[in-house]
Amino acid sequence: MTLLSDIREYPWTSLLTGLLPARLAALLPARFQTKSAQIVPSASIAGNALTVVIAIMSFLACLTLGAVYMVNQSANAWVNDIASEITVELDPVNSADIEKKMTLVALFLAKQKGIINVKPLTAEDSAKLLEPWLGQTSALQALPIPRLIAVEIDRSNPPDIQLIKTALSENFEGVALDDHRRWQAEIRTLTRSAALVGLAVLSLVAAATIAVIVSATRSAMASNRDIIEVLHFVGANERFISREFERHFLGLGVRAGLVGALAAALAFLLLPTMMDMLGGGIVTTAETQRLIGSGELDLKGYLLCVLVVVVVACLCMITSRLGVIRVLKNYA
Amino acid sequence: MIRFDNVGLRYGSGPEILRDVTFHVLPGSFHFLTGPSGAGKTTLLRLLFMSLRPSRGLIFVFGENVAELSTSGRSALRRRIGIVFQDFRLLDHLTTWENVALPLRVMGKKEADYREDVTDLLRWVGLGDRIDAYPEILSGGEKQRAAIARAVIARPELLLADEPTGNVDPAIGNRLLRLFVELNRLGTSVIIATHDYGLMEQLDAPRLVLYDGHLQLRQAT
Ligand SMILES: Nc1ncnc2c1ncn2[C@@H]1O[C@H](COP(=O)(O)OP(=O)(O)OP(=O)(O)O)[C@@H](O)[C@H]1O
Ligand SMILES: [Mg+2]
Repeated sequence: MTLLSDIREYPWTSLLTGLLPARLAALLPARFQTKSAQIVPSASIAGNALTVVIAIMSFLACLTLGAVYMVNQSANAWVNDIASEITVELDPVNSADIEKKMTLVALFLAKQKGIINVKPLTAEDSAKLLEPWLGQTSALQALPIPRLIAVEIDRSNPPDIQLIKTALSENFEGVALDDHRRWQAEIRTLTRSAALVGLAVLSLVAAATIAVIVSATRSAMASNRDIIEVLHFVGANERFISREFERHFLGLGVRAGLVGALAAALAFLLLPTMMDMLGGGIVTTAETQRLIGSGELDLKGYLLCVLVVVVVACLCMITSRLGVIRVLKNYA
Repeated sequence: MIRFDNVGLRYGSGPEILRDVTFHVLPGSFHFLTGPSGAGKTTLLRLLFMSLRPSRGLIFVFGENVAELSTSGRSALRRRIGIVFQDFRLLDHLTTWENVALPLRVMGKKEADYREDVTDLLRWVGLGDRIDAYPEILSGGEKQRAAIARAVIARPELLLADEPTGNVDPAIGNRLLRLFVELNRLGTSVIIATHDYGLMEQLDAPRLVLYDGHLQLRQAT
């Protein structure tokens, strides 16, 4: 593959000097110094405005990717949590002696295979669960609140839920079992749509980046037309000429990508604090935390930002290469 | 190594500048190309250099039919040809040294391998103290010598030179001619377009004479 050998032969060491300010670059060992002047002067390539645009693109890409990653992570944790639990619900209306029934059901459940732990919740516990939605606990006392038994199941050796369900309804009245399956499915749908939205945003960002680089490549070629002509005369082929251009765009992509990714990383670092500051009521905080976790990105999330830099740089390089070759086909 | 068969050329819908031009050039030969100003010398060289397509006829360069070449094939052939343009075509943002080294760079050679060669050649053409100067500050004659150095640095198999002594005094002109002769002795075919009779008299070489669109070969006496 020519692309592979291109990557191998690319003057990567000279990229470093392109990244650093001239005075610092001069301090690098000779191996990193570019010996001959650039054939296409860097001043002739669209400069700051383009860098800003690409940096913003990389920033947006990092934000999107990080957010999707966060949602995914916390949803996974959430699904894991609820998948190892089932809830048994006792209808308080038709039961005269609800406490006794609780004990009986709990004992029955504890005997089933694949169940690790059975934890009957007291009436206060149940009320507390409703508190964020309904408010004051004292007002709830009068209401017939369903009583709950939290059952922890052994995930490596799960019980036959269907069997337990029928056994429960045969032995008791007004007892329902919720295995959270519907809920899991809903969370999955949520994360999947988040991922789809993220993907859409990423493709838009990529398309915009490509469009910007294509037009920048064209104008760079137009303003360096005499250089291209001389290169043609001394027998340079398309590959050589495009390399002279893409070198600049690669450097630009790395620079701009780094700036954008660093800005995004900073935003993620500050996100938990901002959530604290903005988070109004208990409900919203609880819900956002459920959705995106604590708002902290873990190491893998930051690695995604690094990946964005690499992708942005490659995109800049490859787009400009194809752009140059395409324009050259129309010359001559 | 070069063959023109009934080549005709007109720019756009203008008059025919070249008509039924037929000639061939053997490897290792030395020719002057002459004729009055506006006769089409530059045009003929551009045809040879494949930067212009003939309106009629066939052109073979190094045995290849120019009309059938791909872009990369044309680049490959051009790397075997050195050319000196009437208007030099040096790159203004590169130093004299870098300009002269350009063909070698394009060939993918390592700078360490040719650093000395370029410097030596520049000394030889009298530009030893202009190595790090930019073309902007060079005189016409100095630019011309830099352009010649660039054309010969890669030891081309064919050298095309358009008025290579137009801007220099006779002493330097003779020196440059000796450079061409030396290159020719080493195996390069040389075609020099000029209307400098003084220069042509220095050397007993066949002349391709362009007049009124036709080409005539006048053998050396
Ligand atoms: N690009 C062009 N478009 C149209 N006409 C052109 C073009 N280039 C040259 N000509 C015409 O072709 C004719 C030959 O030009 P050319 O440059 O080949 O002459 P020349 O022999 O090199 O002259 P000189 O000795 O002055 O350099 C001239 O009449 C010129 O006007
Ligand atoms: Mg001319």
